[in-house]
Amino acid sequence: MTENPVQNPAQGAVQSPAQNQRDQRTAAAGAPAQGAVEEETPPAAFQVEGLNMWYGKKQALFDITTSIPSKTITAIIGPSGCGKSTFLRCLNRMHELVPHSRTEGTVRLFGQDLYARNTDASIVRRRVGMVFQKSNPFPTMSIGENVVVGLRLNGVRNRALLNERMEQALRMAALWDEVKNDLNRPGMSLSGGQQQRLCIARAIAVEPEVLLMDEPASALDPIATMKIEELTQQLKANYTIVIVTHNMQQASRVSDKTMFFYMGKLIEYGETKRLFFQPSEKKTEDYITGRFG
Amino acid sequence: MAFQTANNHTLRKALSVLVSVATFLCALLVIAPLAIVFVHLVDKGASSVNWDFFTKLPKPPLEAGGGMANAIAGTLTLLVLASLVGVPIGVLGGVYLSEYGTDRGNWWLRFFGDVLNGVPSIIWGIVVYALIVKPTKTFSAYAGGVALGFLMLPIIMRTTEEVLYLVPQGYREAGLALGIPRWKVIVHIVMSSALKGITTGVLLALARVAGETAPLLFTAFGNSFWNHKLSDPIAALPLQIFAYAISPYDDWHRQAWAGALVLVCFTLVVNVTVRFLTRGKAMRV
Amino acid sequence: MNEYGKHIQPSFDKALDALKEDVLLMATLTERSLNKAMNGLFKRDDDLCAAVIADDQEIDQLEVGVDKDGISIMLRFQPVASDLRQVVSAMKVSGNLERVADQGVNIARRARKLNHAPSLDQLHLLEPMYWEALTIFKDSVRAYSDGEVELALSLKGRDKKLDDFDRKVGEEITAQMAKYPNRITSYLNLIFIARHLERVGDHAKAIGEDAIYAAAAEDVRHQPRAVTSE
Repeated sequence: MTENPVQNPAQGAVQSPAQNQRDQRTAAAGAPAQGAVEEETPPAAFQVEGLNMWYGKKQALFDITTSIPSKTITAIIGPSGCGKSTFLRCLNRMHELVPHSRTEGTVRLFGQDLYARNTDASIVRRRVGMVFQKSNPFPTMSIGENVVVGLRLNGVRNRALLNERMEQALRMAALWDEVKNDLNRPGMSLSGGQQQRLCIARAIAVEPEVLLMDEPASALDPIATMKIEELTQQLKANYTIVIVTHNMQQASRVSDKTMFFYMGKLIEYGETKRLFFQPSEKKTEDYITGRFG
Repeated sequence: MAFQTANNHTLRKALSVLVSVATFLCALLVIAPLAIVFVHLVDKGASSVNWDFFTKLPKPPLEAGGGMANAIAGTLTLLVLASLVGVPIGVLGGVYLSEYGTDRGNWWLRFFGDVLNGVPSIIWGIVVYALIVKPTKTFSAYAGGVALGFLMLPIIMRTTEEVLYLVPQGYREAGLALGIPRWKVIVHIVMSSALKGITTGVLLALARVAGETAPLLFTAFGNSFWNHKLSDPIAALPLQIFAYAISPYDDWHRQAWAGALVLVCFTLVVNVTVRFLTRGKAMRV
Repeated sequence: MNEYGKHIQPSFDKALDALKEDVLLMATLTERSLNKAMNGLFKRDDDLCAAVIADDQEIDQLEVGVDKDGISIMLRFQPVASDLRQVVSAMKVSGNLERVADQGVNIARRARKLNHAPSLDQLHLLEPMYWEALTIFKDSVRAYSDGEVELALSLKGRDKKLDDFDRKVGEEITAQMAKYPNRITSYLNLIFIARHLERVGDHAKAIGEDAIYAAAAEDVRHQPRAVTSE
């Protein structure tokens, strides 16, 4: 992971003491701990301030300010059209694929502004990977080629290194044992759940710092879903994970923290165990208990 | 069921059968000319398609024998030259339409592409005559190739755009999400997925222009002998057929039939190849 | 009843309401049992005591039913937040109610024994204790039914008073035992009845804790001082 230049978070913004502590950590992001830092909360992977987002004339996100801790799993829940996928895509600038989209506000990844004028979107996306709802292994490539395509097309040529990374990524995606003898088979020949794990392997092969998942299991059967959820728990050790899901049970099973979005606003954000047991906001309570209507 | 009387039922059935038969006959009518042409060609030309036809140069008039070897070679050469012009520009144009560009701009681009598609092929001949033949003061294979290339352009641009459009957006997103630069995503992921479709588009365009005569009239011009330099005039099958057909010599007529048969067979083979390549897949051009 | 509004699935509302009604029915029956048991004692009426013992079966069956329905709701609807707390506390409260009813049965049995012995003056010592226990019990049920956290919190102190009461009664009657050793059996029964009333207070306190859990999501059990973030 590259050292990130120190960026000062917004001066003068009203912050809670816990937020201040997180900011101090952000400022020292990347540097090993100098002396004892007795900090229970891990450093923030993402620091979002005043994020507003429009698709053309239509505003999709309203003034989102939050921070996502690193090496945790954060789930984003909310009804259809609430902006959760939009918010997710703002974290790796994938919303820019939609014409006439624009954002205001800042998103910092370990202190570095992702939307700074001279920041290349490709580099952002190498640090913040993404797995999609419908698994999409590239059809013209074999399993092995699919895994390393991100490395190869970004200039890595060393065969040995590619093979090593491929095995490592497939192991981490809990897929190695199932495909190690069939690496030359087409990527599309795998089952749905395996394809999705292949996409996860492909995403982590480029060694991002964050893994974004947009409803990764919604197209899968229950067993495959369980495997993906289990895998997500294992990946937490090495990656910050943000997962959008419309399945609240999944959010409560898998995540450490949960965000609830409604109509483009962040309504509540807190520890998953607490949010699903005793939400602070009535809207959250109404949504998770199925009282919306 | 309560509303159907016996009479009603018979009438409806008769009408249904009538329509089926009528549409079947119309379909036959559509295919009939092709069948008629083919049968006629085989009848008139098959006997003249022999080894000499493919290997010998044309003999002067009134001398029997000879073949169209140079015309066949010439057509193939012209197709290669045309591809060098038409394929890169056409494919990249299609890529632009599909992957880049604005809605407005693309609309105009497609519009002009369609207009160019409809331009009579002889116009291309005249244009290339003015652009290349006049300045170089000679008819040439280059000129013929360029004229055919221009003819291929709008077709290839359109078919490329259409097959690229069929590539699911998910692949582009997945590629970009890996931090791969956009142009690499387009080349290595999108275009490689659509390669079959692009190839069939090119093949179909080639089959189409292989039989064009008018653009070659004042560009390639035709040649009784082998073409040794690409800056010299060159023979082509349709040109040769035309020249032989309007001549007063029976022997040449015979050879013209043979040439026409070969040309039609060439087109047929390309189309069958295309069908074969696209079998079973969703991508049909 | 529910300030949160209706669920999108009416069957969910129906199931939750039915669960709560069963618990409250149990509470009514339990209160009636207690009443009958103590009246059977004070009025020396064996029929009342027998009725208490017979009616306990209905309460036991309700407890089983509440547990079954609670599990069924959890399987079907996977409740979260307030719904989850409601279901869990309903199951716990029904358990506590069944124990209170059991104490009623125990009192009824001992009352029957006392009724077959000569009456004792010290019986009147139990009266205020009984009223206190009953009031604590009724308040605990109300705290559960209406989600009254403050009321539930007050139960802990009141239960302590009941414990003191029980101790005092025990001391007084023990003193009497020394004076009239031939009445020891009856005196022992009285002491046991006092102990049963003290248990009623304990279980009522537990019901109060469950009520706080349901309403305020706070687990206040086993704490020296009950605190809530409300």
